[in-house]
Amino acid sequence: MSWRRLRTLVVREVRATLRDPFTMTILITVPLVALVLFGFVLATDVKHLALGVHDASGTAASRRLIADLGASGTFDPRPYATRAALERALVAGTISAALVIPPDFDRDLNGGEPPQVQVIYDGGEAPLAGNAEAFIRSLLARSGASLAPRVAPPVAPPAAAPPGGVEVVTRALFNPRLEGKPFMVAGTFGFVLSFLTTIITAVSIVNERLTGTFDQLQVTPATSGEILLGKLLPLGAVFALDVVLMMLVAGFVLGVWPQGNALLFIAISSGYVFFSLALGLYFSATSSTAAEAVQKTVLFSIPLVQLSGFAFPTRNMPFVFRWLAEAFPATHYIRVSRAIYLRAAGPEALAWELTVLALSGVVFVALALRTIGART
Amino acid sequence: MSRRFWSNVLAVAYREARIVRHDRAFLGVVLMQPIMMLVIFGLVLSNKPANVPWAVLDRSADTVARRLVAEVQATGYFRPPRAIASYDQARDLLQRGQALAVLVVPEDFRRDVERGRPRVQLLLDGSDPLSAARVGAYVAEVAGGFATRLVPAGTRHAAPRLPGPIDVRQRFWFNPTLSDRIFFLAAFAGMLLTNLCLSVTSGGLVGEREMGTYEQMLALPTTPLEIVLGKLVPYVVVSYGLLLFAVLSSGLAFGVWPHGSWPALFAITLPFVLASLAIGVLVSVLAQTTAQSVFITVFFIMPSFVLSGVMYPYQFMPRGVRDLGGLFPLRWYQIALRRIVERGAGFAEVLGPALALGGLFALLLVLIRWRMKPRLG
Repeated sequence: MSWRRLRTLVVREVRATLRDPFTMTILITVPLVALVLFGFVLATDVKHLALGVHDASGTAASRRLIADLGASGTFDPRPYATRAALERALVAGTISAALVIPPDFDRDLNGGEPPQVQVIYDGGEAPLAGNAEAFIRSLLARSGASLAPRVAPPVAPPAAAPPGGVEVVTRALFNPRLEGKPFMVAGTFGFVLSFLTTIITAVSIVNERLTGTFDQLQVTPATSGEILLGKLLPLGAVFALDVVLMMLVAGFVLGVWPQGNALLFIAISSGYVFFSLALGLYFSATSSTAAEAVQKTVLFSIPLVQLSGFAFPTRNMPFVFRWLAEAFPATHYIRVSRAIYLRAAGPEALAWELTVLALSGVVFVALALRTIGART
Repeated sequence: MSRRFWSNVLAVAYREARIVRHDRAFLGVVLMQPIMMLVIFGLVLSNKPANVPWAVLDRSADTVARRLVAEVQATGYFRPPRAIASYDQARDLLQRGQALAVLVVPEDFRRDVERGRPRVQLLLDGSDPLSAARVGAYVAEVAGGFATRLVPAGTRHAAPRLPGPIDVRQRFWFNPTLSDRIFFLAAFAGMLLTNLCLSVTSGGLVGEREMGTYEQMLALPTTPLEIVLGKLVPYVVVSYGLLLFAVLSSGLAFGVWPHGSWPALFAITLPFVLASLAIGVLVSVLAQTTAQSVFITVFFIMPSFVLSGVMYPYQFMPRGVRDLGGLFPLRWYQIALRRIVERGAGFAEVLGPALALGGLFALLLVLIRWRMKPRLG
């Protein structure tokens, strides 16, 4: 390892990168755009959902019920004159849920019977229907309670209550309002740093191979280790900068700041970036065209996004795939990132994940070194 | 449109088909990705909590509390609970991510049961908000229906049910069990075709320009429009092959068959494929090198998956982001796919998305025509 040779290689790489404004734009815009988009995508609350209403009762009470449902901002009620029209709208997907108020709603309300309403959900958007259900139930319960006192006496004393029912007082730690933003922001670091790093190195090396400069590098006295470091150090520095930039944008634009030690997070992320770059190097060293290198990266990134727990928790997966997910370093990095960002975890709580990350890093670097050497 | 025009288009199409057969990257997209994605979306991904790690901090050591824990466990969403002794331990487990929920039973639980006001506390790991919300709901549901005193079977019905203010009868149409698999697979064809149409065409023109074959083609009596159309024809054919694969594989492997009209399904696919291919062509015209076109494509595919609603319902997104998603053809196609596959719709219900897709295609053609002058360089 000669420092002089390494320095020359680093300077060369920095110049090559700076000369290419397109790559620089990608390196800066993609992480930030991904952060903002993903940050806004996941929400646990429902807003302005189209709710079809067929009010066969048409009384003051039913109109008040509908107004109550619309008032919260969760639902936008749309009236339908007939039940058939309502069902057609549900099939066409113009409404996500439908409320049918029967003609005898008012009579039941005044007669002391529990008045019945029917709610039909569009199961076609399964995740949406699941959340909408919880909202409609709680809204109807509240609204019903405000309609009821007019006729029904207050709830019977506890002594007469049926045996049963344990009240659950729920408290969510680390994120009391169960917001989606911090979850997605912390995950986006994993996504960007795994995917963008790999694809950038892959393309850069293949391009060098096409123009012949990579072969020139290999006939210089530089060793494979020096070539590797010469490639990775400048790019690694850019990505370390990206990490800081993303943290600032997440903080100022989305209001998500790390709860844990920010320096620890930056340190771990820089290490992770280095390993992912090595993986990109491996992909590109084993491909003959840029398209092939990219194809490999993209093929690899599908399971990366889907299996790493970025969007869907790994624990929900069937047995075999849970183990497969454990084999991706991205899975562990995303866990670490969420632990530091949301739960303020310290290094002692992350020992296992960090060990796995370090081990996979060693494997990637070894693979990359071997492919660079083999090509001489 | 003379006969010459179409024969030129077909000639270019034939040439493109001959070339692409030997393209390994293309074969990867067509052969490997569909199978990988079928497995992932059909088998692996789910929003439904499973194997949830949890712990119980039982300060009452009461049989009723133990029965409550057993009933929560019986829902099948949880792993066997870990018994812990202190709040500190609970916090530590949650922080390490080794428990998603901790159920805390207070010391005077027994007394509360006798007074008829039993309460327990549930600590959730809010760092995973979707899972936390669902797990919280499951536990609350079990606890709400939990019989604190075991009532002999005969008398249980006699217990007076408190009349709720409003009796809600609810049904889930199209997907009664709210299975995530049906949600994903309904839009499966859209994901496959987006990947195919964008990745194969985007590199096409740049690649030819880099190799000099584009200039050769311009020297022939073919116009740029003929070249572009000719290059697209083979991919339209491949797209229909992938559509068939998507529909048949989700039907045969997972029982998710289209409930609606098959002709409508095939018809709506054409404007979608054309619009997606046109995006690829536009990228190819805009990019200066293959590497650039690759980046633009990849970073177009990602947001189109996220924003279109194939993975998360787009209705969840805030207004601005939701409208932005309307610029992606996949948004309109997945709307149409869900209507046909899940809700059993026919031609009439997918007219809106079809018009939107047609509009996008027309807009893209204008952009391509405007950017693509016969440049020799």
